[in-house]
Amino acid sequence: MKKTLLSLLLMLASGWAVAAPAADLGSLMTLLAGVKSGEATFTEQRQVTLQDMTRVLESSGRLSFAAPDSFVRETLKPRAERLAVSGNTLTMSQGSRSRSVPLDSVPEAQVLVEAVRGTLTGNRELLDRHFTTAFSGSLDRWTLELVPREALLREQVARVTVSGRRAALTEVQVQLAGGDRSTMKITDPRAPAP
Amino acid sequence: MNLLRRRPALWAWLAAMLLGAAWAARSTYVADLSAFLPSSPSAEQRVLLEQLRHGITARVMLVGLRGGDAVQRGEASRAIAAALRAGTEFTSVSNGDHAGEPASGGELLFAHRYQLSPAVDAQRFTVDGLRDGIADTVSLLGTPGGSWIKPLLWRDPTGEMLRLAETLLPAGGPRVEAGVWVSRSQPRALLVAITRAEGSDLDGQARAIEAVHRAAAPWAARGIAVELSGAGVLGVQSRTLIQAEVERLALWDGAIVLLLLLLAFGSLKALGIAILPVASGVLAGTVAVSLGFGRVHGITLGFGTTLIGEAVDYAIYYLIQARSGAARWRQENWPTVRWGLLTSIAGFSALVFSGFGGLAQLGVFSVAGLAAAALTTRYVLTELAPDGAPGLGLRRPLGRATARLAAALPRLRWFWGGLAAAALALLLSLPSAWRGQLSHLSPVTSPALALDASLRADLGAAELGTLVAIEAADEAQALQRAEQASARLDTLVAAGLLAGYETPTRLLPSAAVQAARQAALPDAATLRARLQQAAAGGPLPAERLEPFIAEVQAQRSAKPVTRADYEGTPLASALQAQLVPGTAGRPWTVLLSLRAGPEPLPPQRLREALAGLGDTRVVEIQPELAALYARYLGEAFWQSALGALAVLLLLYAGLRDLRRLLRVVLPLAGSVVLVLAGLTLANVALGVLHLVGLLLVVAVGSNYALFFDQLARRRPGNDDGDRETQAETLASLLLANLTIVASFALLCSSSMPVMAAMGWVVAPGTLLCLLLSASWAQAPRGTGVGESGP
Repeated sequence: MKKTLLSLLLMLASGWAVAAPAADLGSLMTLLAGVKSGEATFTEQRQVTLQDMTRVLESSGRLSFAAPDSFVRETLKPRAERLAVSGNTLTMSQGSRSRSVPLDSVPEAQVLVEAVRGTLTGNRELLDRHFTTAFSGSLDRWTLELVPREALLREQVARVTVSGRRAALTEVQVQLAGGDRSTMKITDPRAPAP
Repeated sequence: MNLLRRRPALWAWLAAMLLGAAWAARSTYVADLSAFLPSSPSAEQRVLLEQLRHGITARVMLVGLRGGDAVQRGEASRAIAAALRAGTEFTSVSNGDHAGEPASGGELLFAHRYQLSPAVDAQRFTVDGLRDGIADTVSLLGTPGGSWIKPLLWRDPTGEMLRLAETLLPAGGPRVEAGVWVSRSQPRALLVAITRAEGSDLDGQARAIEAVHRAAAPWAARGIAVELSGAGVLGVQSRTLIQAEVERLALWDGAIVLLLLLLAFGSLKALGIAILPVASGVLAGTVAVSLGFGRVHGITLGFGTTLIGEAVDYAIYYLIQARSGAARWRQENWPTVRWGLLTSIAGFSALVFSGFGGLAQLGVFSVAGLAAAALTTRYVLTELAPDGAPGLGLRRPLGRATARLAAALPRLRWFWGGLAAAALALLLSLPSAWRGQLSHLSPVTSPALALDASLRADLGAAELGTLVAIEAADEAQALQRAEQASARLDTLVAAGLLAGYETPTRLLPSAAVQAARQAALPDAATLRARLQQAAAGGPLPAERLEPFIAEVQAQRSAKPVTRADYEGTPLASALQAQLVPGTAGRPWTVLLSLRAGPEPLPPQRLREALAGLGDTRVVEIQPELAALYARYLGEAFWQSALGALAVLLLLYAGLRDLRRLLRVVLPLAGSVVLVLAGLTLANVALGVLHLVGLLLVVAVGSNYALFFDQLARRRPGNDDGDRETQAETLASLLLANLTIVASFALLCSSSMPVMAAMGWVVAPGTLLCLLLSASWAQAPRGTGVGESGP
C-alpha cells in the first residue's frame, strides 16, 4: 500500500503519464536482455573532415551478436574487414592480417564496443559503468544517448547515440570530439532466435 | 717504549686491530644474490647471470599507485611519470599515457619507416599494393583511431607507421583507465620505469627508489600510496633487511652472551676480556674477505656475528681454566683448544675453494675469524688476565652442577645410542630432504614476492619463462641470426604455440634487410604515376600525396638505421634488453623473450624449430636456476665431505689411536644424524646453509669431544685441586655451550631464511654434541663417577 502510494507520487512528480508505465531505461533493458542472439546487416556513413575537404565514406556488411559478450562486425564493402569481440578480446582482421588485443587496453575502442554490446544484451550495469545514459522516446521508438563518463575519453568520443524499435537496434551514431561522425543504420533485423 | 718491549704481543694485536678496523671501514658491502651464483657457468647459465647482473630485466622498476579514485590515480600517474622523466634516475618511464611520452623515439621510427616496416616490399609499391594500403588507412578514418592517422595522412597514406607500431607494441597490454595503465584485478594504477643504474648497483637503485618517493610525495596527502617492486627494489629491500637483521641479531646476541658471562664471572673486567677474541675474529674475518674478494657480502657478515658462538668459547675456556695460572693453561689446555681450532679450520677451509663466491666468503671468514679469535686468546688474554677470570660469580655452583650432570649422563649412553641409531635408520629410509632452492637463499619476504607477481600480472603479457639466446661474433652476425630465428618463431606464432616474441630486429633490422627494403622503393616519377591510378576514385586525391612521394625518395637513399640512432630515445632501453653488445672475449648476445600462446609449447618443440641455427639456444629459466642450485648444493656436499675427511685425518694425526678417534668422532656424527633426522621429520627443505650449519656443529662440537678426551686421558689422582680443575673445565664447556645455543636459538627467530636455517641446525646440534660427548665419554676417575671404560 505504502509502495503504491510512493510510486504514484513519483510518477506525478516526474510528470509521466500513468498510461505509459513501461517507457523507461529499466524496461528497455529488460526487453533487450530477452534477446540472446541476433543477426543483421548494416550500412555505415562516415563523415570525415580532411583539412579543407569533407568526405563521406560508405561501407556495409553484417552484424551478429550472441549473449553474453560476443559481437562481430563484418564489413563486406568496399573491402572485407572483420572486427570481433568476445569477452575482453578484440580481434581485428584485414585480409590475411589479424591482430588481437585486450579490449580494455584500448579504451576508445572499448567505449564503442560496450555501447553496442551493452545495449544489445540489455546490460544496464555495463552501460552505467562506462556512460551517463539518457533515455528518450517510447519502447516502440527509443533513443539512448550515451556519453562516456571518463573526461579523457570524451576528448575522443563525444557521444554514442543508439536508437531502436522495441528489442531491435536501428541506428548507432558515433560523434567524435574532432567533429567526424559515423552513422550506422541497421537494416533488416531478423527476428531474435529463441 | 718500555711498555712496547714488555708486552710485544699486546701491542702487535692492538696495531693489527686498528689497521683491520680502518680497512673494514673502507670495504665495500654488497647484499645481492650474485655472490651465490657460480663463477664458471654453462652457456645457458651465462645468459641468465648476465641478465641478472647487467640485463635490462634487472633495471625494470614496477610502480603501483593505490588510493583515491580512478581519476586521481590517473592524475597522480601522469604527474609522477612527468617528474621522473624530467629527473636523471630513469632512462624511460611508461604509464600508458602516450601523450606524455617523449616523441623522440616515434619521430625516429617515422623518419625511417620504410626501412623498418616488415610490410615494405616491391608488391607494396605496385598500383594494387598502394591501393590496398590506402584502403587500410581510409578504413580507420571516422573512427577514434582516425585522429591518430589524420595528421600523418598525406605523408603516410599507406599506413606504414601503423604497421610498424603494430609489430612493436606488445599485443597483451595492460588495461587503460583515465588515460593510464591500471590493474585489471584491483584499484591500482601502474607505471614501468627503467633505471639508469644497473640492477646490481644497489646505491643507484636506492637513489631511483628515493626519486619515486619524492615524485609521489605531493600525492601522499591526497591519499595516493606507492607500491614498488622489481629486481633492484627487491635488492635494496634485501640489503636493508640484512643490515637491520644483522644489527638486531648482533645486539641481542651480544646482550645474551654478556648476561651469561656476567652471571658466570660476576666481573665486568672478565666480560670485557671475553669480548676481545670475538671482536678480533669478526674484524679479521671481514678484512680477510675484503682483501680476498674485493667486497663483503652482507650474508657473510651476518654469519660472522654467529661466529661469536665459537669465538666466545675460547675466551670462556681460558678465563675459567686459567685459574691456576696462564703458564699452566698454556701447557695443559691450549693444546686442546689448538686442536679444536685446527679441526674447525680444516672443516671450513674446504669452502674456501668453492666456485660460488658466497660459500667461499663464508669459508675465508670462518678460517680467518677463528684463527684470530684463538690467537687473541692465546697471546692477548694471557697477558691481560694471567690468572683467568678474577671474579667468581656463579662458577662454583655451575661447576658442581656440571660435574653432577657429567656424572649422570653416562647412564644415558644407551638411550642416546639407540636414539642415534633410530635416527640413522629413519634418514636412510625416508626420501632425501635435500630439496632446497636457490630462492631460499634470498631474504626477500613472501609479501614482497607476492606484490612483485601481482604487479607483473597486471602488466599482462604472460612470460613463457623461456628465452631464446643467440650468440654471435659481431653485431651484423647477431642481427642476421636473430632474423633467421625470427623466421622460425613466426611459424610457431602462426601455429598458435606462441602469442609473440620480442626481437631487436624490429627496431634494428640487419643492414641487408634494410637495403632490400630500400631497393623495393620506386623512384619519384614511377611512384607518382602509380599513385595516380591507385588513388583514382578514392577519398585521397593523388595530387595531395606529394609529401608521401618526397619522403619515400628521402628514405630510398637514407643511411641504414644503427644502434647509435636510438641513443637518448626511450627505445634504447628496449633495444638494450634484446641486443647485448659483446666485449673483449665475450660474444654479442641476442635475447628473444617469448610470450605464451593459447597452446602450450613444449621446450623440445621449440628446440626442434630452432635446430641448425648457429649459436642459438633455448634457455628455460626455472630449470636452469634449479640446475644452478643443484650444482651449488652438490659442490657444497663434496667440499663438506672433504672437510670432514680433513678433520678425521687431523684428529687421527694428533690422537694416533683409533679408539680415541672413535670416541671423539662418534658424538659429532651422532649429533649430525639426530639433527638431520629432526629436520627431516619436521619436513624442512634442507639447503646449502643447513650444510654449512652442520659444518659449524662439527667444528664447535670437536672442541667438546676433545676436552672430554683430555679429561679422560689425564686420569688424575683424587686430590681436591685436580677435582676442582676438572669441574672448572666442565663448567667452561657448559657455559660455552650455553652461549652458543642461546646465540643460535636467537637465529631461529630470524626473518631471513639463511639465518634461520643456521639457527635450526647449530642450536640443537651443538647442544647434542655436548650431551653426547658427556654421555659417551670415558669418565675420569677423579670426578667420582663410578662408570669407567678400559
